[in-house]
This record gives sequence, structure tokens and C-alpha cells, in this order.
Amino acid sequence: MAATVILMTTAKTSIANMDTISTAIPEVCPELGIEVPVATIDSELRKLWEQDEARTNASLMNLVVFSEKPGALLENSAIIRELTREHSCRAILVEIDSAAEPSLRAWITAHCHLAEGRKSVCCEQISFYLTGRVTGRFRNTVFAHLNSDLPLVFWWQGELSDILTERLVSVMDRLVIDSSSWADPAASFTMIENCSQENSDLIIQDHAWTRSLQFRIGIASLFDDPAAQMALPSIHSVAITYHPDHRNTALQTLAWLAIQAGWKDLMSAAEFAFVSNSGVAITVTLTANPESAPLSLLILRGEGTDVRVTYQKGASHIQRQIESGAYKASSLSPADPTMPAELVALQLARGGKNSLYQKILPRFRAMLKS
Amino acid sequence: MPAFLAGTGAAGYRDFIKSPLDLALPRGGVDGNSATAMSNPFREDLVSRSPAEPCSIVIFGATGDLTHRKLVPALYNLAVDGELPTGVKIIGFARREKSDAEFREGLELLNRKVSRSGHDDKIWGNFIQSVTYHTSEFDDPAGYKSLAEKLAALDAERGGKGNRLFYIASAPEFFDVILIQLKNAGLNEAKPGCWSRVIVEKPFGTDLATAKHLNQVVNETFHEKDTYRIDHYLGKETAQNLMVLRFANAIFEPLWNSKYISHLQITCAENLGMEGGRGGYYDGAGALRDMVQNHLLQLLSLVAMEPPTDLTADGVRDEKVKVIRSLRQWDTPEKVAANVVRGQYTAGYIDGNPVPGYREEDRVSPESDTEAYVAVRLLIDTWRWSGVPFYIRMGKRLPKKSTEISVHFKDAPCVLFNALTGGVPGGNVLVIRIQPDEGISLRMVSKIPGTSLRLEPVKMDFHYATSFGKGSPEAYERLLLDAIAGDATLFARRDEVEEAWKFIDHIEHVWHQSNNPPPMAEFVAGSWGPREADHLLQQDGNQWRRL
Repeated sequence: MAATVILMTTAKTSIANMDTISTAIPEVCPELGIEVPVATIDSELRKLWEQDEARTNASLMNLVVFSEKPGALLENSAIIRELTREHSCRAILVEIDSAAEPSLRAWITAHCHLAEGRKSVCCEQISFYLTGRVTGRFRNTVFAHLNSDLPLVFWWQGELSDILTERLVSVMDRLVIDSSSWADPAASFTMIENCSQENSDLIIQDHAWTRSLQFRIGIASLFDDPAAQMALPSIHSVAITYHPDHRNTALQTLAWLAIQAGWKDLMSAAEFAFVSNSGVAITVTLTANPESAPLSLLILRGEGTDVRVTYQKGASHIQRQIESGAYKASSLSPADPTMPAELVALQLARGGKNSLYQKILPRFRAMLKS
Repeated sequence: MPAFLAGTGAAGYRDFIKSPLDLALPRGGVDGNSATAMSNPFREDLVSRSPAEPCSIVIFGATGDLTHRKLVPALYNLAVDGELPTGVKIIGFARREKSDAEFREGLELLNRKVSRSGHDDKIWGNFIQSVTYHTSEFDDPAGYKSLAEKLAALDAERGGKGNRLFYIASAPEFFDVILIQLKNAGLNEAKPGCWSRVIVEKPFGTDLATAKHLNQVVNETFHEKDTYRIDHYLGKETAQNLMVLRFANAIFEPLWNSKYISHLQITCAENLGMEGGRGGYYDGAGALRDMVQNHLLQLLSLVAMEPPTDLTADGVRDEKVKVIRSLRQWDTPEKVAANVVRGQYTAGYIDGNPVPGYREEDRVSPESDTEAYVAVRLLIDTWRWSGVPFYIRMGKRLPKKSTEISVHFKDAPCVLFNALTGGVPGGNVLVIRIQPDEGISLRMVSKIPGTSLRLEPVKMDFHYATSFGKGSPEAYERLLLDAIAGDATLFARRDEVEEAWKFIDHIEHVWHQSNNPPPMAEFVAGSWGPREADHLLQQDGNQWRRL
């Protein structure tokens, strides 16, 4: 059994030199822990750990969660509480309200879980609520509270803004985004491209891509079957059904199929069409369905062989199927996560350089322009 | 600029840098006759392991405890994680008359109790459809003929393709006959483009002669590259992490030699005795053959081996076997007496409860001369380890259950702090905990805060469970998947097994066949072993680490 302890206090410390305190966050906010002056965060954290020697401070990374959505701090604190069950980190939550007068409030807390029912393992959380013009203040505030030597995972929620600067990106190890939430993905990717000129090691993790993971693993697994492999050169059609909000997931999956199978773009009247190495023309049917999960169907059809991965919205598993003549086989595998916290947890668990995403991204970006 | 953003047009998508892991290249042991690894373009980067292909798995000894408690739950959990290839069929082969339904019912009963991830009726329902039962005596050719027909029918469903994995989980006395019957039925031969593999459970022989015989039978039936001798210790997370610790971190390897290391200890402590009727088997085997020959020598070879030239199965196993081959042999009564201590426990207390002595245990002979405890000083005659003793101890009815490797570094030079009265309190010790509470700790010396100079040891501790909340898969899950994928890295090779038996046999011969065998030591159950084992280390100026 795991337990969660949120350290809390009723003491509130006002921030020096701040004329205006925003009222967007309550005066007392137990969900975020103890409100402290920014300058004393480190010493307050030390005091927090001294309160109980039985606790273990665990951290594998700095995880910054950034949002400009009102109320995001409280939502993200709940997400971090769950995330830290499997991913130890120093979490730094940031909510920005650029429209209000300049102010800065900070809270500290720890999320504690029982490890194997015995030891209390805790992860620190620092929350910042910044208002007014914040670009420089925000960056320096984050820089000042990173745990040294641990990687920085920066989870940017929502649309990009001018707060994402080259200077900020230069200290990131991973940038977590959700391109499905962007109104203009092509422009946003260009913005990231411009900001990351000096950080050649930056790893981008896109929720839109992660939403298709089990579909891709399913396809890969099915093509381990010799029957599917034999049919690969004869594939003549691809059908993908997706939710209208998740067209990026569908396009990224399509880009992945095309690149891995070596399909070239084919000039045709259709939006997308390919030709395989063996000269077979491949038609593509993309179907948006408001009742669908982000992805609900992916079928590859070849000569006498269907390879299919399906997912019923809300189900716990996806189904993999192959039909080749009389041969039929199917199996279940875990469904792709849908909640942002689950997607981040999965991305952190997989780690790596996400090089496949790097590989498909230029083709995907080209598709965005189609 | 990150590579992923280089070029936005279709022409630019090939212009990126691949790391070796990105390509999920087949690792060691992947058969040359299987083209799947190279021809499935969708595998890239999704799974950093060799691909696991659909196959038929035949488990011999299907009504046994191992099948019910370990193998089928492991396969089920692979299915839960989506790791079990679509189209895998499982056939339980055993002597007892049973229907498919009865077999499945028994498996479900145990799976509900022991499955790591719990029991999901929907996944189980799908998974169990692929499980059938085949009744036959192990020596009945007709049973194998009908098995072949069953497999051929499954192959026909797959369009004539048929990969087969035979898991021999029966009692050891049936290993020979099962292998011979498989050969007679032609089941050992794979069709072109397919594979046929065998997993053999321990014990792999009871001495060098029987191991050689079994190896001969196995290799007359299956190619060595298709033979997987399982040692579940190698499937444990920390055992796998040993190579990562040594070769993925730059700070340890320069210190990993006789210049800086004083000695190493490998401890495998059990607090259990002979409960559940295990005395019948154990009294015929003993601690040396039951644990040291396989598990502990495997751990020793991982901790002492040279860096392999690559991570292929044979690359790793080539280096492991050199360690075993370099062990100085204790081949005379004098050498055994000087370097090996065997013992039996007398009645005592474990966790406050009285427990009987070894010779009073269920199914143990009252005059037994089988060791329930063994401690061995090993010397590895290589440039790296010259003069560094390795101490291995394994015992039943010790105070607690624990398997650990500890690397004891030499003391700091006798100047500065070490020249002060009392010196430095203890040297640096790196501990690799295999089970339970997998993790790694490092002991170092620190100054006690205050105005005077006082030194105390402190410990940096890494716990898997703390840093990684997600639990590790069971060892059998990893090993079964590796066998399906054709990766033999975590399985023992023929020469490893035989070299290990060669070392063990010398000691066994002195104990049981010489005119002046060293005496059997005694210790009270619940203590840390016999005094003689303490003396073994004290002769070198060392002592057992307190666990």
C-alpha cells in the first residue's frame, strides 16, 4: 500500500518587494505545501527533510512543469503526486499569468510514498506562481533551483510562447510537448527549431507520438510473423482512423510507416499516396471520427494478408490481428495511455534518445504542409 | 540544432545520426537462419532487444510446480505487457491424464495466486486459448509422434512456418529420454527459415561426468546455439546490472583489479531449511552443487570477467568462461582443507522460533554427510586478480535471506589520517545486493562534525525500489523472452557448465572419496555459519561482512 503525505502549514510568508500578491491562488493552499520566500527555498527544503529522518529523498531528474493555464499549479501538483510513485524527481511547477501585475509566490512540499510497504520515499516539489512580464525572472528562478548534475526534463503544457527562448532551451535535456494541443503545429515546430540551435542534444518528446506507441509496437510485433513479412512488399493500402483532435498522431504514424517501409511520396490527386520499393502504389485512407480514441484503427493490406491493430475507446487493451489466407492469429496488448500524466510517465520510463521520432519528424512536418 | 530538425522536406528525413541502440540490432545468439531480425523494418528503436517471433512452446513436466508457479505466470505476464508474440502456442506435455480444460483450470488457480501483475480475466481468457495439454509418457515414441502432428498442424495454420521452443522442466532423470525422443521424432530439426530451441532447467548434471553426458545428449539433438541452459539468477535485475555497473561507468573499471581491491565476498544466505519436503533432493545435492556450481559461480564470473569485445552472447560468455577456467583448483585433501569449509546446522532458533538441526530435518538422513553450508576461498589466476581472494559462502538456516556481492577495497596508505591513532575506520566497500532489496551501496569514510578530528564510515545507498518505483519483471519472464528471441547471453554455455563442474568435482571427491576428508563443521541454526569459516578469512586478515 502506498501513502501520500502532503506537508502543510498555515504559516504564510509574504514576499519582500512585491507590491501585489495575486489572488488567483488561495492565501492558504495546502495542496502546494508551505508558502516560503523565494530566497529561502533551499533552507526551507532542508528544514523539511530534517523533520523526519525516516524519509528518503529520492531524485533522478529535475522535472519542470510549465503552464500558462489558470489553476494549472493545483492540477499539476496532483499529477506530480502520482508521477513520483514511479519516477523520483525534484519537481518544479510553474504557473504564469502575464496579464497581472508583477509578483512571485513560491511553495515547497514533498510527495511521499511507501516503497515496498517499508520505507517512506519522498520527492521534493517547488511551485512558483509568477505574474506580469516574466521571461527573464522565470528562467533565472528555474535555473536557481535545479538539483545539480541531474537532467532537466521540461514539460511545456499548451501553446508555445515567447517565454521559450534559446537561453532556456539550452539547459534542457528533454522537452516534453503535446503537438496535438497546438493550433498551428508547423509554426510551433519552427519555433522549437529556432530555439534549439545551440542545443544539439535536446530530446523532444511529443505526447502525440507517444499516443501511438502501442499501435506501432503492435505493427512491429505482427511483422515479426513470417506471413506478414512476406506480404510487406505487396502492401497496397493503409487505413487509419483517428479522433479529429489527434490528426498529428495519425500523420506521425503514417510518416513512420512510410519511412520504415521505404515508401516514397507519390504525386497523386489524393492527399497522401506512396509507392513502395517494389513499385506497388499504396493508397492512404485517413478517417477522422469524433467517437474514436486518438487512434482506433490501423490496417495494412497486402496480397491476401491483412495486418490490423484496433482499439475500442475506453478499453484496457488493443487488439493485434493478422489474417493470411486460412491463418488467423490475434493477441491483446496494453492500450496507449491518454492522460497527460500517464503519457509523461511512459516517456520517462522509456528514456532513450527518442531517435525514431527524430527520424520521422521531418517527413511529418512535410505532411503538415500538404 | 538538434538532428531531428535537420531539413523539413521529405528528402531530409534520412539525414540523421543513428546510435547503435536505435537500430535494435540483433544481439547475441540470434540464429543465422532467421531473417526476421533484419527484415522487419518496423522494429527499429521500438524494442532494444532481439525480436521475439511467433513459435510453439512445448513444456515437458507441465503438471509440475515450476510450470504452474513460474513458467506459465511468466508467459502470462509477458502477454500482459504485450511482449509475447502474437500467435504463440503453448503445449503442456506430461504423463498425467488431463483434458485441456483441466490443465487450464489448474494453471488459472495458481496464476491468480502468484502472478506478478495480478490476474486479468480478459487477458487470461485470450492467453489461455493458446494453451493445450498433451498426455504422454516421456519415453513413449507414440506420444512424440502425436506431438509432432500437433505441431505440424499449428505450423500449417501459420502457412507452413514453424518455430519451436522446447522447455524441459521435468525431473532431471527424464532429461535424457526426452531429448532422445525429440530427436527420434525429428522435432529437433527446424524447417528452413525457422528455428528449434531447447531450454534445459537445472540441475545440469550432478558432476562433471553427468554434465558431459547430458551435454553430449543435448548437442546430439540440438545445436549448441539452440541450447539454453537456464540459470534464473542471471535473469535477476541486479545480476544484469553488474555488467552495466562495471562497463557503463568510467569510475569503477580502473579500480577493478588487484592493485586497489583487497578481496571480494559473495554471500547467499537462506533462512529456510528443508521445509516442504525439499530435504529429499537437497540431501543428495548439498550446498556446493545446488548453489555454488551454478548461481554463485555465474555471479563470480560476471564480477571478475574482463570487458567483453561486444555484447553478443558469445562475446560475453567467452569472457565469463575464462574466469571459471582460471580458478585455482582445490584438488587435494590438503588444499580443500585449507580453502573450503563445509558445515551442517544444529538445532537453533530462526526469528525466535525453534528449528531442528540439519540431520533431524524431514527426508534428511540422520547420518547425512551432506553440507548445508559451504564457504570457499577462490583464487583466480589472471593478471587482473592475482593475489585477490574471492570468498563465497552459501548456507541454509542462516539469520536472514540475502544474496550480495561485496567488493572490499584496500585501505588508504598509512599516512595522513591513516597514520593517526586508530587509523581510518574500515575501508571502502561496494556492495551489490542481488536479493532482496536489489541495489548498490558504497561505504566511505567521513569526518564527524565537530572541532576534533574523528572519522566514521558512512554509506551511500541506491535502492532499485526507491529510485525506480516500477517493479522488475520476474527472472523467468526475461529469460523466456530471450530464448524466444534467440538471445543466449543470460544462459550458460556448455564450456561454462563443464568448467564449473570440474572445479566443484575436485572438492566433492575429496569430501566423499578421499581417505582423509576434512571434517564437517557445525553451527547453530540462526547464526552466521561455523567458526571455521570465520577462520578461513582471518588467515588472510579479512572477515566476513556483516549483513
